[in-house]
Amino acid sequence: MIAAANRLSGRGDALRLWGETLRALGRSPGAVIGGVLLFAILGTSLAFPGFTDADPLSQDLLARLSPPFWQEGGSLAHPLGTDNLGRDVLVRILYGGRVSLFVGFAAVLVACGAGILLGLLSGYYGGRIDSLIMRVADVFMAYPFMLLTISVIAVLGNSIFNLILVLGLSDWVTYARTVRGSVLSIKEKEFVTAARSVGTRDPVILRRHIFPNVLSPVLVLGTVRIANIIIWESGLSFLGMGVPPPMPTWGRMLAEGRVYITDAWWLVTLPGLAIMLTILAINLLGDGLRDALDPRLRNIPR
Amino acid sequence: MARYILKRLWHTVYVAVGISIISFFFIHLSGDPVMLMLPPDASKAEVEALREQLGFNDPLVVQYLRFAGHALRGDLGVSLVHRTPALDLILERLPASLELAGAAMLFALAAAVPLGILAAVRRGSLFDLGSMLAALFGLSMPHFWLGIMLVLLFSVHLGWFPTSGRGSFSQLVLPALALGLSLLAMFARLTRSVMLEVLGQDYVRTARAKGLRERIVIGKHALKNALIPLVTVAGMQFGFLIGGTVIIETVFAWPGVGRLVVQAIFSRDYPLVQAAVLVLAVIFVLINLLVDLLYVFLDPQISYGGER
Amino acid sequence: MRKTAIAMAVLWAVVLAVQPAAAKDPNTLVVVQEAEPVGLDIMQSSIQTTMSVGYNLHDTILKPQEDATVKPGLVEKWEKVNDLTWKFTLVKGATFHNGEPIDAAAVKFSFERLMSDALKSPHRGKLNLFKGVEVIDERTFTMSTTEPYAPGLYMLAQYFFIVPPKYVRQVGDAEYNLKPVGCGPYKLEKWVKGQEVVMTAYENYYGPKPAYKRLIFRGVPEEASRIAALLTGEADVVSGIPVHQRQKILASGKAYLTDQMGSMNYLGLNTYEKPFDDVRVRQAVNHGVNRELINQALFQGKAILCRGPISPRTFGADPALKPYPYDPEKAKKLLAEAGYPNGFEARLAYGTYMSQIQEQAEAIAADLGKIGIRVKLEPYERAVMWERYKNRQHQMFIYFWDDAPEPDRYMYSLFHSKSRDYYYKNEKVDRLLEQGRTTLDPVERAKVYNELDRFLYAEAPWVYLYVIPEVYAVSNAVEYKGLRDGYLIMNTAKPRK
Repeated sequence: MIAAANRLSGRGDALRLWGETLRALGRSPGAVIGGVLLFAILGTSLAFPGFTDADPLSQDLLARLSPPFWQEGGSLAHPLGTDNLGRDVLVRILYGGRVSLFVGFAAVLVACGAGILLGLLSGYYGGRIDSLIMRVADVFMAYPFMLLTISVIAVLGNSIFNLILVLGLSDWVTYARTVRGSVLSIKEKEFVTAARSVGTRDPVILRRHIFPNVLSPVLVLGTVRIANIIIWESGLSFLGMGVPPPMPTWGRMLAEGRVYITDAWWLVTLPGLAIMLTILAINLLGDGLRDALDPRLRNIPR
Repeated sequence: MARYILKRLWHTVYVAVGISIISFFFIHLSGDPVMLMLPPDASKAEVEALREQLGFNDPLVVQYLRFAGHALRGDLGVSLVHRTPALDLILERLPASLELAGAAMLFALAAAVPLGILAAVRRGSLFDLGSMLAALFGLSMPHFWLGIMLVLLFSVHLGWFPTSGRGSFSQLVLPALALGLSLLAMFARLTRSVMLEVLGQDYVRTARAKGLRERIVIGKHALKNALIPLVTVAGMQFGFLIGGTVIIETVFAWPGVGRLVVQAIFSRDYPLVQAAVLVLAVIFVLINLLVDLLYVFLDPQISYGGER
Repeated sequence: MRKTAIAMAVLWAVVLAVQPAAAKDPNTLVVVQEAEPVGLDIMQSSIQTTMSVGYNLHDTILKPQEDATVKPGLVEKWEKVNDLTWKFTLVKGATFHNGEPIDAAAVKFSFERLMSDALKSPHRGKLNLFKGVEVIDERTFTMSTTEPYAPGLYMLAQYFFIVPPKYVRQVGDAEYNLKPVGCGPYKLEKWVKGQEVVMTAYENYYGPKPAYKRLIFRGVPEEASRIAALLTGEADVVSGIPVHQRQKILASGKAYLTDQMGSMNYLGLNTYEKPFDDVRVRQAVNHGVNRELINQALFQGKAILCRGPISPRTFGADPALKPYPYDPEKAKKLLAEAGYPNGFEARLAYGTYMSQIQEQAEAIAADLGKIGIRVKLEPYERAVMWERYKNRQHQMFIYFWDDAPEPDRYMYSLFHSKSRDYYYKNEKVDRLLEQGRTTLDPVERAKVYNELDRFLYAEAPWVYLYVIPEVYAVSNAVEYKGLRDGYLIMNTAKPRK
């Protein structure tokens, strides 16, 4: 990935790289499938509430645990069946997707934001700032991440905001290190030294010349991390510390449905399937993105 | 070399100090455990007395310095809930955690490396596509779900393995499998991508051009170089696993450190949480040090001889 | 490459060669609970799973019964000296597991230890009406209370554990918590932390000897894993069986169900603050929860609807009361009268560790939404829930108590202002509770509790929910009958013919 950045020489080149990347992405069938799938999942989750007033929280205790329509006892009123409180599973999956994906994206944004900022400062200024930031990064890296998450949630309570914050904060180190590495190799490049010699101020250099060139590895990393966070939220739900009720998430549906695993398969299997599809899509896109951004892989004959 | 190790050990010290500060202030923000320690009918005066006795009325900085002072002498405090030295409790559970993490790691590596290599060598083949798709499915299954499914299938349905507990080898299989499958997926993907990278390098092409047999090219030249990133990631994952298997420990009633600490967090057993975070962090750093040293054996070109 | 392949083949061979778990020793009984004990000294913990282990190692002077009466235990006979004093005679020749004799001096020592400041026993409050133990001779002693105390014998039967003075003095409280020497039917063999507590039958036990030579307690937190252990035969007795799993266990043909303590769930209201300071609002909430439907849907109709605060299965519940009928229209009317025609917003806290709690909370919240109370759910960890409870930070909260046969055991703790006045306080309630525990004639006593039940029914400081009768699942190979108010005391279990 660093190699990709090496070949660049400035802002215009960064744009050219993005164009190239997109074209390369278009040539990779995996990336196209992943991208279309992800777009479809995002689109359905986001647009769905605009078309219907179905409520993911509306209960019908008498119709609880009814199976999907193709099974005996199921009906089209609840095409994918109902859960333990008689709520529509399809509607919950669609709404749950919004929350799950939102948490995933937002947490990655937090981590990326913090990681890029600290990585830029660390790599560009070097010296004391660099060693201070990297020391802190070492500490965060060694802090048992799982315990950090759980203790933060136990202390602050499990709101969506806290969850995003803590998932984001426990993940910034990887981004910071990646960005720092890229910056180190870019900052000695001609176009940067040239900009510096004509008296361009540091913030401008960082924003204009360096930032666009370090983005690509971060993008690859971030894509895949979204998937991780969706799984993570599910694990936290298992421990009773995920996104707070009553809003459904895929992870919580899975965690809560597990007690019915032998009587009502659809409660775990369907949100599980949604998670799988999403992760598949994200990873296919991520792989394609990585291949497209990494020229070393492009050169390998098939 | 010695100098490098010394430097890395110094690194362990500052990480330990940093961790202890973060965890200390963090857990003390959550309020104190005094209310939980007393019977429900305790009076206000009793609460105050216990608080004073445990030193919770002192400023946080004083409390931290006191903790650090004791810690330097190897005393990490006494668990408030178990009424036993915190370090003893952790060391009691540590073998179970290491055993589970080790077994999962071993299983994952043993299966993932050959899988990843084959997929890389036959890039674009049906095998490549199939195994990488399977790996993605492996990555998308939450541990608790996988664990329960394994129990239902292998214990209840087939009766091959016990459902939970620790002691015999057969009790280790299912939790290690549940934990190992997602690692397997991760490692297989990683092996494939680093192998692809290595296979594109000049020296591999040269070796091929020289007419060396494919098996030797892959086994001797390519794999050796691919191992370095693999070992790095595996080392890091191993570090995470030791304290991060709460979910599997819960499903399989495995007596590891993770569950002990999570319980301690819930009951605000400060000394135990602090001690555990510290111990786990030091282990993490040491494992990474070991991994770095391992590089030297994998790649003689790397040396750690001072300033370069 | 080849080496890797060989290593892999070996690994798989090992995995596949593993034999199914060896058949269990028929002389061993395995009990699986939700958690392992936090300690083994029963005086130091009031957690149910911990006490269940402790009751096998320790003994009380009397045995509590389901109708709130008592039967002989370490004490073989007793008589009432006057309204304040009982005289007890110990069984002959009983010993602790280390051979120390169980005499009146040991009883006196045990009482003093239980009440001591140093031990901070959570059971202390339950026996604090007793002044102490007077030793008469080796086998006889008396105990007096500061005022007439109707449930006295029952409380002694449940909470007065006897420990060996010499051994306790020798090892201290902390060590005793790890290696207790009791006088119960089983003695400790070893405690492998995080795994199991292994006990062996005590050959010199004074009472009925256990049928199983060994007794093992394990903690398995995950419900699905616990039930799997039962179905595979790894466990003989399993606790914490949710209602919706019962059918499956019975249908497996491998186990049956027996009684455990019930869980009496209630929804407390903060009566000191608006809007629940108004009795009409509290009654409205009681009318607004469709408990019958929740019972049918979540508990398969197995729960018992509560009428007032005293469980229908407890002595003193007023049989004339009917559960608050579900009547959303009436609830809305009451809310309007109280000045909330458009309802209001309220917070509902609950502990995430309670069984089936999430579904209950969501169902209740949905019901309350229909009468205009917009509920925000607040799930808390055990510790946080308790702390916020004590600090009066809850507005509505779901908690539970076991529905013990003896009303004083929970009614006094939950409603007397000297015990806790965090969310509700009433002088009349205090007076009735004091009257209830000092009235010795059972008929008169029942009338006092009936009145209390009726009064609190109308006052509605809680939303009265239901008692969920909980069960143990027992393997078909074992014969064991659970005590409704009891713990897992396994000397009554025996192999089934």
